[in-house]
Amino acid sequence: MKKILNKLIGTDVAVCICGILSAGSIVLAFFGSERSIKLMSTPPALGFSALVALLLVVRGIMTLFRKRFDSALLHLGCACVVCGWLWGQVEPKFVKDALPLKGSMALVDGDVMNALWEGAYLTNYVGRLPFTVKLDKFIINYYESSDQDQSNGRMPPIKEYRSRVTISEPDKKSYVKNIIVNYPVYVGGYYIYQMSWGQSQNRWGQPVTYTVLQFIRDPGLRAVYAGYVMLFVGTLLFAIKLFRVKMPVLSVNQEVK
Amino acid sequence: MDIKFSLQGGLIYLTMVFFLAALTACGFKRKTLTQYFWFAGFLAAVASVVWRGIHTQHAPMQNLFEFFLCMAAFLWPLTQISRIKDGIDTTVKDAILGLIILVPVGFVFGEEVRRLPPALQSPLFVPHVGSYVAGYIMLARAALMSLPMFKSNLTKVELAGADMASRQTVSIGFMLITIGLILGSLWGKLCWGHYWQWDPKESWSLATWMAYGVYFHLRLNYGVRKPRLLAAFLWIGVLFVVLTLTWINLSRIFSGMHTYA
Repeated sequence: MKKILNKLIGTDVAVCICGILSAGSIVLAFFGSERSIKLMSTPPALGFSALVALLLVVRGIMTLFRKRFDSALLHLGCACVVCGWLWGQVEPKFVKDALPLKGSMALVDGDVMNALWEGAYLTNYVGRLPFTVKLDKFIINYYESSDQDQSNGRMPPIKEYRSRVTISEPDKKSYVKNIIVNYPVYVGGYYIYQMSWGQSQNRWGQPVTYTVLQFIRDPGLRAVYAGYVMLFVGTLLFAIKLFRVKMPVLSVNQEVK
Repeated sequence: MDIKFSLQGGLIYLTMVFFLAALTACGFKRKTLTQYFWFAGFLAAVASVVWRGIHTQHAPMQNLFEFFLCMAAFLWPLTQISRIKDGIDTTVKDAILGLIILVPVGFVFGEEVRRLPPALQSPLFVPHVGSYVAGYIMLARAALMSLPMFKSNLTKVELAGADMASRQTVSIGFMLITIGLILGSLWGKLCWGHYWQWDPKESWSLATWMAYGVYFHLRLNYGVRKPRLLAAFLWIGVLFVVLTLTWINLSRIFSGMHTYA
């Protein structure tokens, strides 16, 4: 029994799996982001990921018993990341009345909205948020115009996109938040991102600038972050352990371990 | 071909001249002179990174030009660490590596200054790119150190030395690319909304990471009984790194969100 188990989750299998995953992610690189995300959310891909996670957990626990903590943390950390990702993918299928995972809204100054949309023109209704968002103002800041910009007669590059919003949660006082690229705002389980912007006309034919905010809820995020912490500590211990090994001073016929 | 006539270009060419001088001095077996030239090259490389930082008013890690520039400045300290820790002289290998890194910086990439777009204005910018710069350098050095393992009449002492040096270097490099991957993923969550989007560069980085996973498991499984296989995987890893930095960055097949270079 032990022999079979060792064969099944031994280092030979690990070499194969690492090789397959390496080759697989190269294939996905050729597919591009959008198609890869779709492919990875199909049942076979989810099943394969679950299998990999299971093997990682078994291996991680085995190395834990052998007191090789670096290796255990690396394997369990990977497993944690894969499990968190899996839960983020399948949560709506298991939880009743789950809130939408992802959606966007386009707002001009003064708009109030709590519905999420998707699609190239944000026309498909996704679901409703547990709070409402009012866009106070969308601001674009530019860098100071350099000499080069002036001689070429062009606008300086954009320095910052900022959507100032008022968030109203039920039974709570509403409050103001600034949503900036790289600095999403966390509200009621959702991260709100400054995603895009554009220009259009309102119904009286006047030009208006709108902002696109993206709302993302990820139920597996904590597990993924926990996995990252384990990976970080694991790889640190691993490097320290190897780095402390002294250069062997061998005579010619001594055996190399 | 893009020859630079600016102060920046001058500093880069000066660094290259010092590296070449170090190699030449080593060819004539002038050890002290080699070390002087190698250190002078380091100073010139640091000067060009610092000047780039002052000139662009941001950490010089935005595009491949700046990335490679930083890589060259990392080499001298690593040579010192190898000397102090393992007592091996890697100056020649490092100088060759430095020259290889600086050729595209000096003659291929443009040096025009671009101001940071909103997506790159993050505290994670420098740690993420910095750990990849250092990590890739370590992985390249590990591959160079594993070169003796390809020899057919390898003595046990040589084998042990090459294996030890390359494995230690690659473990540090692996740690750095793991940290780079984690930080990049956290940054992706903050900037793009998800920690993993199968962006082509993300996928290639994962493939690289997994290739080193294969190396470590092989080393665990066979020890040093298959030195060529181990060395081959170190070189495959470096091949992936080179592809990530060149083909993936520049080709339109892999247009993704990492298109800042």
